[in-house]
Amino acid sequence: MNKSEKRKINRRDFVNSTLRLSFGIAIGSIGGILLSNTIKSKTVWQLDPAKCVQCGRCATSCVLSPSAVKCIHVYDMCGYCDLCGGYFKPETKDLTTAAENQLCPTNAISRTFIEDPFFEYHIIEELCIGCGKCVEGCGAFGNGSLQLQVSHNICVDCNQCSIARDCPADAFSRMAIEEPYTFKGFSSDDDEV
Amino acid sequence: MNKQKKVNIKLWEKVAYISGFFSLVICFLLIVNYVQYKRIEPANTKIIDILVERLNKNPEDIELRKQIQELDLLARKAYFTNQWQVRTGAYILAIGVLILVISIQILNSSKKKEPEILLFDKNDYLNSHKSARKWVSMGGAFIVLLAMFFAFLTHNELGVKFAMAANPNSDSIFNAQNNNSENDKSNTNVLENDSSKTNTENASVNDTIIQSDTTSQEQKLSEFPSYKEIMANFPTFRGPWGNGITYKKNIPVSWNASSGKNIVWKRTIPLKGYNSPVIWGDKLFLSGASSTKRQVYCIDRNTGKTLWTADANKITGSPANSPKVTDDTGYAAPTVATDGRAVYAIFANGDVLAIDMEGKRIWARNLGTPVNHYGHSSSLMLFQNMLIVQYDHKTASKLMSLSTKTGKTLWSTPRKVKISWASPIVVYTGKQTEIMVSSDPFVASYNPFSGKELWKLDCMTGEVGPSLAYADGVVFAVNEYASLVAIQIGEKPKILWQNDEYLSDVPSPIATKKYLLIVTSYGVVVCYDSKTGEKYWEQEFANGFYSTPILVGNTVYLIDKMGGTFIFKLSDKYKQISNPQLGENVVSTPAFADGRIYIRADKNLYCIGSK
Amino acid sequence: MKKKIIFLILLILLSLQVYNALSGPRFPKPEFESGHSQPTTQSPSPRGIIFEYIDVLLLIISLSIASWLALKKRSRKGIFWLSIFSIIYFGFIREGCVCSVGSVQNIALALFNPNYKIPLTAIAFFIIPLIYTMFFGRTFCAGVCPLGALQDLFVLKPYNLKSWVQTLLGIIPFLYLGLAILYAATATDFIICRYDPFIGFFRFNASFMMFAIGGIFLLTSVFIARPYCRFFCPYGVLLNLVSRVSKRHMTITPSKCIQCKLCENSCPFGAINKPTQIKELDNQKTATKRLIKLSLIIPLLAFVGGWTGSQFHENMAKVNNKVRLASQLYFQNDTTLNINKNSIDSVEITTFETSGKPKEQLYAEAASIIDDFYYGGWIYGTFIGLVFGLSLAGLSVLKYRNDYTPNKATCFSCARCMDYCPVEPDE
Repeated sequence: MNKSEKRKINRRDFVNSTLRLSFGIAIGSIGGILLSNTIKSKTVWQLDPAKCVQCGRCATSCVLSPSAVKCIHVYDMCGYCDLCGGYFKPETKDLTTAAENQLCPTNAISRTFIEDPFFEYHIIEELCIGCGKCVEGCGAFGNGSLQLQVSHNICVDCNQCSIARDCPADAFSRMAIEEPYTFKGFSSDDDEV
Repeated sequence: MNKQKKVNIKLWEKVAYISGFFSLVICFLLIVNYVQYKRIEPANTKIIDILVERLNKNPEDIELRKQIQELDLLARKAYFTNQWQVRTGAYILAIGVLILVISIQILNSSKKKEPEILLFDKNDYLNSHKSARKWVSMGGAFIVLLAMFFAFLTHNELGVKFAMAANPNSDSIFNAQNNNSENDKSNTNVLENDSSKTNTENASVNDTIIQSDTTSQEQKLSEFPSYKEIMANFPTFRGPWGNGITYKKNIPVSWNASSGKNIVWKRTIPLKGYNSPVIWGDKLFLSGASSTKRQVYCIDRNTGKTLWTADANKITGSPANSPKVTDDTGYAAPTVATDGRAVYAIFANGDVLAIDMEGKRIWARNLGTPVNHYGHSSSLMLFQNMLIVQYDHKTASKLMSLSTKTGKTLWSTPRKVKISWASPIVVYTGKQTEIMVSSDPFVASYNPFSGKELWKLDCMTGEVGPSLAYADGVVFAVNEYASLVAIQIGEKPKILWQNDEYLSDVPSPIATKKYLLIVTSYGVVVCYDSKTGEKYWEQEFANGFYSTPILVGNTVYLIDKMGGTFIFKLSDKYKQISNPQLGENVVSTPAFADGRIYIRADKNLYCIGSK
Repeated sequence: MKKKIIFLILLILLSLQVYNALSGPRFPKPEFESGHSQPTTQSPSPRGIIFEYIDVLLLIISLSIASWLALKKRSRKGIFWLSIFSIIYFGFIREGCVCSVGSVQNIALALFNPNYKIPLTAIAFFIIPLIYTMFFGRTFCAGVCPLGALQDLFVLKPYNLKSWVQTLLGIIPFLYLGLAILYAATATDFIICRYDPFIGFFRFNASFMMFAIGGIFLLTSVFIARPYCRFFCPYGVLLNLVSRVSKRHMTITPSKCIQCKLCENSCPFGAINKPTQIKELDNQKTATKRLIKLSLIIPLLAFVGGWTGSQFHENMAKVNNKVRLASQLYFQNDTTLNINKNSIDSVEITTFETSGKPKEQLYAEAASIIDDFYYGGWIYGTFIGLVFGLSLAGLSVLKYRNDYTPNKATCFSCARCMDYCPVEPDE
C-alpha cells in the first residue's frame, strides 16, 4: 500500500513537472516570438489632424471627461486674423468677445489684441472640451492653425483608445514617444504627394 | 492575535454605521449629479444657435442679446460646477467607503469567530459532482442553443455579400472575357461577332452608367474605364490586363518596310527604350530614357506626329544619378500604362509619374531606387483606379498599389522573393479578381483591393523574365533554368502539369482554353495542349525572339529579333500565314488597334496598315 | 541645446516652405511691428519610458514579496498590506494600465498581426506573473493585481457558494478569454479593457456604465468574495492552468494536517479541497465507465462547439468597425431592412464617402475580416467545447484525498486559512 502510494505520488510529480516544463516552454516561446517584434520605446495615442473630420466624438468618446483631446494652437501657422473663423460664429458681424459671437461653447479661446490688425488667440486648456468646433471653423475659413491633439499630460494612455474605436476617420494611431504630436503642415506625410 | 488588544466595538460599530450612511447619501447625490452632468453636452448648443440666428436677423434686439449671454453663462456654469461637484463628490465617497471598509474589517477581526464545523455529509462530494455535471451540461447546451438562435435569426451571408460587392463589375466585365476565350476554336469571323456581341451587352450596362454620370452638360469621365473601354484599346503591356490577347479587327498580314508597302508612317523616337507602345483612342504612348533624361511621348497614332513630350524630372526623392543598368535592359524597359484619364510611367531609377492626356503632370514620386543588376523592367498594370507596380528588388521586394488619382500608396505587400523582371497580370477567375505575379521562388496571387496574398506556389527559380499567361482557371509560368508550369489556381493551387524541354527567359507565353504557346529567345516556338501539356507542334526559327507574341483573335503575331514577323493561326498544326519583314531589330512587343499594328523597332516606330 | 533650436527653426522653415509650395496659407503670417513675440505651441510631453521600467521592477518586487509572504512568512497581514500598496500604486497612481489582465490581448494581437509592434512592458506584464505562478502558485492574485486587491478589501460577509454553482460559473472566464483573444487577434477591439470594471474607480473618471458595473461588482464582493477574479477574469484562466502544476504552493498547515476541520469554511473563495471518505470511492467502477463515455463525447463536444462557433461568426464579426461600416453602406439603400439610421451612423458613412477610398476596397477588407472570424469561430467554438468536455471529465474523476489542501487551481494564496490552523510549525 505504502509503496504503491509512493509510486503514485512519484508519478503525479512526474506528470506535474512535465506539464510545468511544457508550460514553461510555451511561455518562453511566446515571449521569444514576440521579442522579435517589440518596440523598445513607448508609444502613445495621437490623432492625425490631416485625417480628422471634426465629428465631435473626441469630446464624448474619451474615457475621461472632459476629454484628453484638446485643441492646440499652432502659432506658426496662424494668420492672427481679426475675423477668426475659429473664434467667431460664421455670420458674426460685430467682432466682439460677446457670448453670442463666440463659436467655442465653453469660452475656452481668449482673444487679445496685438497690433492693428492682428489678434492673438490662445486656448485655455482647462476649459477646452475637444469638441473641434473651432478646428472646423479655422480649417474652413482660415489657415487651419487650430488642431485637435491628444494632450499627453492628461491622456491616461489606455491600452485601446476608446476614441480610436469610435473615430469615423480612422485618425487615431499609436506614435513613438519621441514624436508624440502630429501637427498638420509640419508633418513629413505631406511630401509624399 | 486580537486577544491582547481590546477593540472598542461600540465605537467602531458607530463609525461603520455613520460612514455607511454617509457614503450612501453621497453615492445617491453623486449619481444624481453624474446623470445631470452627463446629460449636459456643452458642444450641443442648439438652443443658443437658434437664438443667435434670430439675433442675426434682428441685430438691434438687445433683450435677445442679453438672453443669449445669460443662457450661455448658465450652460457653462452648470457644466463646470457639475464637473467640479462630481469630482469632489467622488473623492468624498472614496474616503467614506474607505472608512466604512476599515471599520467593518476591524469589527470582523475583533469578533471572536467560532470556526463553523459542519457535519460531514456522506454524499456531499458525489452529489455535488453530480449536480455540477448536470448544470455544466445544461449550461453548455444553453450556450449552443442561444448562439444558434442568434446566428439563424440574423444570418445574412455578409461575407459572401461583401466579397461580391468588392467586385462590382465581376458579373459583367470579366464573364465577357471568359466568354471570349471560349471562342478559341472558332474562326476569326465568329469571334469578332461574338466579342462584339458581348461587348454590346456590356456596353448597354456601361452606357447607362455613363449616362447617369453625365447628366450634367459636360461629358464627365467616370473614375476609371469600363470593360468596354479597356477592350477597345491597348492600354497596357501585352494588351488589356496584360494577358497577351486582343480582339482587334482587320489587322494587316503583309507589309514591307523597304518598299513602303502598308507602312502608314514611320518616325524616330528621341530617347531609347525597350518598352512597348500602348494605345488609347487616337493617342499612342511610349517612353524613352537615357542615364540623365527620362521622357514620355504622346503620338497621334493616325499621323505619327508628336502631340506632346513630358519630362520626368524634378521628382522629389529621385536619385541624383541613375542606377547602373545593362545595355540590353536600358533606362526605360517598363511599358507605360494608360486608362484614358492619364498615362502612367515608371523608369529604372524608381520614378513613377502620372501625366494627363494633355501632357500635364498630375503626380510624381520616387518609389526608392531599385537595386537591380540589369535594371528595373516590370511594366505597370492598371485595375480600376489602381496602378499596380511589381517592385521586386534586391533590398525590399513588394507589390504596390498606387492611387491613379494621387499616387498615394493604397497598399504595399512585402514579398520574400528575388529580383523579378516579369510584369503583373490581372485575372478575373470567375469568382474574384486577382493580381498574379511571377518571381523566384514563387508564383503568387493578390487581392487587388487589399493586397492580401491569396495563394502562392513555389515553382520558379533563376532570373524570372517572362510574365504569366492565364486561361480558364490555369495560369502558366515559365522561366529558363526553371520549368514550364501549369498551375490550377485556387486556395490551394496545384500543378496540373510541367515540362522543361523548351524554356523561355524573355518572351512571355500566351494561353487560351486549348493552346499554350511558348516562345524561346533562342528561336524555338512550341505549342502545347494547355490542359494536358501534350505537345502539338514545335518549330525552330533562325533569329530568336525577345518580343512577346500577341494573340489577335486566334492569329498569333510574333516578331523575331531581326524584325521579321511570323503570323500564324493558333491551332493543332503550325500554319504560317505570312512572314513580312521590317528590316530593323525589334525587342519590343507590338500594339494593336483596329486595322493597325504599331511596332517599336530599334530606332523607329512603325505604323502598319492599309493606307 | 543650441543645435536643437537651429534644427527646430530649420524644420519649421522647411515645413513652411512645403506648406507654401502646396497651396500657401490663406492668411500669411504677420510680421509684428510692435515687437510682439509669438508664443510657442504647447505640447506637454507624455510620461517617460523610465516609468514603464519602474512598473516592471515594482511588479517583480511585489510578486517576490507576495510569494515570500504566502509561502514562507505565512502572514495574512503582510499580504493585506501588500494589496493596499498594489491598490495605491498599480491602481490609483498608475490608473490601471498596463495590467496583466489586459496584456493577454496585446499578446494575441501581436501573435496574429505582425504589423503590430508590442511594447516590451506588455510582454513583461504578461509573462512575469505566469512564471511566478509556475513556481509559487497564484501569488499574483493574492496581493499584486489591483483588481483582485480592491475586491479583496470588500470581502466583508462572504457566503459560500454551492460547489456546482462555482464550477458552472468558473467556465465563464474561459468563454471570456476565448472571446477576448478572438477580438484582439482580429484587431477588432480590446474587450477586456473596455469592460474593465474597476478602472473607472482608479481614475475617478469613467462612463456611467463603467461605474455601474464596477459598483455592482464591489457590492457583490461583500457577499460573494472576489466575483470578478473567480467568474470573469480571463487572465485568471491562464494562472489557473499554470498554477495546477506549480512547483511549490502555499499550504494551509505549516506541517501535518490533523483533520481538525477548523479551516473547512475559512476560505471565502471555496478553494479548499476536503478529504474524501473512503466509502465514496466504492463507486469507482461506474465512475470509470463514465470517464470512458466522456472521452468519447469530448471530441463530439469539441466539434459541436466549433460548428456552433462557425455559425455564429457573423454575429461576432459585426462588432468590428469595418464590418459594421461595410454593412451600413451595403444596406443603407435597402428599405426592406429596418436598419435604424440615426445620426451617428451617417457620420461614419459621410466620412467614408468623403475619404475617397473605393467602396470595393472596404468590402474586400470586410469580407476578409468576416472570413477570419469564420475560422476564428471554429477555433473558439472548439476550444469552448473542449473546456466543457474536460470540465465534465474532471467532475467524473474521483480523487482520493486525506487532508485539507488548497485547490491549487483556484486558490488565490490570500493566506486567510492559515490563521485557522492550530498546528504549530515544526522547528
